[in-house]
Amino acid sequence: MLPGLARGAQVAKPVPADGYAGSEACATCHEDKATSLASTQHGRAGNPRTPAATQGCESCHGPGKAHAEAGGGIGVGGIVNPSKLLPQRASETCTSCHDRGTHALWSGSQHDQRNVGCVTCHSVHAPKGERQIKAASQMELCGTCHKNIVNRQHRFTHMPVREGKVECTSCHNPHGSANVKLLRVGTTVDDSCTSCHSEKRGPHLWEHAPVANACVTCHNPHGSNNERLLEAKLPYLCQRCHVTSRHPPTVYDGFVMRNSQNANKIISRGCVNCHQQIHGSNAPSGQFFLR
Amino acid sequence: MRITLTILIISFFLGSSSLALAQSTTPGGARTTGSVDFGGRFTSTTGDEARYERYRDLRNGATSHIEVRKDTSKYLFNVRVDNAGYRDQRYGADYDANGKVRLAFGWDSIPLNYSYISSTPWVEQSKGVWTLSKSARQAVQDRAAGVVGIPTTASQLLQPSIYRGLASSFDLQYRRDNATASAKVAASKDVTLDLAFKSSRRDGYRPWAASFAFNNANELPMPLDDRTKDVTAGFELVKPEGMIRVAYDGSWFNNALHDFVWDNPLRATDTNPFDPSGYSNGNGPAQGRMALSPSNAMNVVSVIGLYKMPNHTTLNSSIAFSQNTQNDTLIPWTINNVILPTMQPLPRTTAEAKVQGINALLNFTSRPTQLLGLTMRYRYNRHDNMTPMFDAREYVRFDAVPEETGGETEQFDITQNTFDIAGTLNLTSRIPLRLTYTLDDFKRGGRAFSDMTDYTFRSSLDILQTQYVTVRSQYENTHRIGTGFSQDAIEEGGAQPGLRFYDEADRSRNKGTIIVQLDPATMVSLNLLMAAGKDHYHGPGLEFGLKDNSNGSYNVGVDVTPNDTMSLGANFGYDIYNTHQDSRNANPPADLTAVPPVAASDYGSWFDPNRTWNMHNRERVNNAGMYLDLIKLAPNTDVRFSYDYSDSDNAFILGGPRVQELETGRALSGPSAIVYPGFTIPAPCTPAGSTCFEQLPAVTNTWQRVSLDVKHFFTQKVGIAVGYWFEKLDIADFATVDLPGQPGTPRTDYLGAILTGYGNRPYKASTGFLRLLYLF
Repeated sequence: MLPGLARGAQVAKPVPADGYAGSEACATCHEDKATSLASTQHGRAGNPRTPAATQGCESCHGPGKAHAEAGGGIGVGGIVNPSKLLPQRASETCTSCHDRGTHALWSGSQHDQRNVGCVTCHSVHAPKGERQIKAASQMELCGTCHKNIVNRQHRFTHMPVREGKVECTSCHNPHGSANVKLLRVGTTVDDSCTSCHSEKRGPHLWEHAPVANACVTCHNPHGSNNERLLEAKLPYLCQRCHVTSRHPPTVYDGFVMRNSQNANKIISRGCVNCHQQIHGSNAPSGQFFLR
Repeated sequence: MRITLTILIISFFLGSSSLALAQSTTPGGARTTGSVDFGGRFTSTTGDEARYERYRDLRNGATSHIEVRKDTSKYLFNVRVDNAGYRDQRYGADYDANGKVRLAFGWDSIPLNYSYISSTPWVEQSKGVWTLSKSARQAVQDRAAGVVGIPTTASQLLQPSIYRGLASSFDLQYRRDNATASAKVAASKDVTLDLAFKSSRRDGYRPWAASFAFNNANELPMPLDDRTKDVTAGFELVKPEGMIRVAYDGSWFNNALHDFVWDNPLRATDTNPFDPSGYSNGNGPAQGRMALSPSNAMNVVSVIGLYKMPNHTTLNSSIAFSQNTQNDTLIPWTINNVILPTMQPLPRTTAEAKVQGINALLNFTSRPTQLLGLTMRYRYNRHDNMTPMFDAREYVRFDAVPEETGGETEQFDITQNTFDIAGTLNLTSRIPLRLTYTLDDFKRGGRAFSDMTDYTFRSSLDILQTQYVTVRSQYENTHRIGTGFSQDAIEEGGAQPGLRFYDEADRSRNKGTIIVQLDPATMVSLNLLMAAGKDHYHGPGLEFGLKDNSNGSYNVGVDVTPNDTMSLGANFGYDIYNTHQDSRNANPPADLTAVPPVAASDYGSWFDPNRTWNMHNRERVNNAGMYLDLIKLAPNTDVRFSYDYSDSDNAFILGGPRVQELETGRALSGPSAIVYPGFTIPAPCTPAGSTCFEQLPAVTNTWQRVSLDVKHFFTQKVGIAVGYWFEKLDIADFATVDLPGQPGTPRTDYLGAILTGYGNRPYKASTGFLRLLYLF
């Protein structure tokens, strides 16, 4: 057995079908690819679902007998290189096996529709990161297209992504999802956010309308230069909606901040210095989220 | 203790690895490999140390990173350990028996460090009960000479509050510990069963507001003691034609703290009789009580299916039924013993809160030819809030004043229908043109618009996988139109009739993105991203609220990989955001038809356009980054260097007639001002020698990070590593209050508030690492 081929295979090697050359033949010229494959899940012959346990290299690259007999060459003998195919066509190769679990809703998903296929992000033979992605980290990979989003991680308030505690896929399933925005969990934005922030799930006796639909009315989960990932600084964010009488639409400026007790609407937590239960209150006297 | 634990774990793995090495060659080529990376970490910080650490534990001590992998013909087993013994420690283990059984375990601690320089005069009597010195409160209540409780004027700021002297320092932080376990079993070739469990516990303290009146806003350390348990169980059947998965997800949030009680810094006793203005002037209760996040549960049953058809056609769908419930015992109307006996009993004693949901998704995708593709999607989402109405028309504000101005609880139901159709025409094999139309309809209860529909047209044009260039571009235009508008829904809340809430107001949106990647040579890649968008809010009668929102993002970067041993790159980005909102600062209108009549409290400012003001928020952010990796460029040595930079300028510019009045001290007269008999238009405040208006300064912050790591291996297995991190944050935020002349030292007693001192302050920090490396 050539080095690098399916490690420790205790099962009988499949006999190549008609038109197939067998992985040993492939490794004659492509030893580096065979070696790289062996160290991955695809190379585990003991798993009956892997290429190593079925048609080997030709599970993905197609029958290679004609290619081998012709002496090799790009595309010779009808050999297929998925990384050179259009993404949607390449994805069909991958999803012939990866069509379950978190990949079940791939077809028609946002990435699939935009021709961002499996081989756009993953490499079978030369991965750089976990789960065979083409970059050392998810931030680096996703930032290839979503650089403006990834940059937000360097903002003053942020989820612990750059600290390594949360990744893009902690919230998103890039392979397709039942939720909006490829959110991994639940079926609404709020379902996703409250899967971790379950103390805000409620339902509460007193609901705050923009909270029910949706968290992103007030927060930007990717990063913000305002405290608590807010889209705007308090009190100005609240003043977008609360144009009533007296204090909600008061002009809160530097004069108030230096001279008046109403400075407590500007400093520290702003409006939430009093309206702490802003996500909803379970107190009978909690109509204005003060209790 | 932490260092001892690290050493013990290191010793365990070194011992195990030695044993594994002796056994590493087994029939079938089984191998045990891994790495042990451990050593010392040394941190030096000036300024806000908690902000530097934020989600990390960078205290001086031991550092560890261990990975062990055992790979046999029958299974694969991984173990990982990070920063053992520290508040951000992480452990993980995976076992994979060739896909037949997969097990995974994990433990991840995530600290959130708010502040190491906080202080509070409150004392935690018991979990969730915070008390203040009775004698201090009495002195404040009695208005003892020379005693300031909570400053309310500039002159009172010159003297420390009595509570400043009573404050004790503490670290304001908490930690979230996530424990996960999952199992996946291939019961047969076609059937998979999976089970997952997660427990997330929060323990510690977070800053929390707990107030009594307009002049009495407090911030205390709120104790956290809660746990969320999640369970998922699934059954999956896969055939060549497709698959189906049936799953149950359960989630239970349990808060060990039901409510929070704290003493009033302005009162030692309940005001008796109550003061009708107590919510404003501080003559309120001796204590306050607040209901904390209620324990709740969520149950979801879902089905996902996929069906593959000929000619590159698939149909996939999902449907989920959910129920959220919460039935916590309700706290009384108030903790105020003067008022409580006068209140009616609660309409009910528990919340009885329930929401039911249905979500369905259907996706049809077909690419029958190389030329054409079609995708259609339908989504249905229903959120039914079934919580019974709770009558709180009589309620107690701030535990201080019983009022008749409460109301009945409102439950916000939402039904959303989304239909999306996209057609793709491949102009060439590498250039797809895609056109999409989406109709997104929301029906909502309890809002100003009962129905809101987004009509979206999207077009995208891509150039894919050519040798030198890849382009992705998209343009989107959306019109949002609301119907079923209820003026009462706006005015019943006391709002100006011209207010529209921006999450439902009529809106036009235009946005576009273009991403270009140039690969002029195999070793060089250039990338460019430009994105811009604008929302404009409009519609009949819209006068107040968010009016405009525009943004732009521009990024350019280069990556160079001259050979296998070197890679470097740099990127620069510029983001720009602008929003504009209108408001009016006025007293409520007269309502002479009301019983009893409500007289105008002034000349009729409610209708006066000269009381209108606006706010323009302008945010500019510069991002930059660079990296250099030298892998084995020098023998047996790896060098990694990176630099990140983010600089923000966030300005809040107030303007409009009302601001002009305040700036000049003169009331503007206008034809729309309604002057009631007996009233005159008052001039804005005109303190001697100054105006009554000052623009607040922009909030600025500049963050920089340098990271350097050098590894050198003396032998194939043994090496040494030196690492260095440098971070600097410069920040100026007007909402963070420090003692005069002592930047970085919190002022906890400010106008209208007693605070913990948590805020946004600068820091400069260095962390050095010296580690030993062992590979096996």
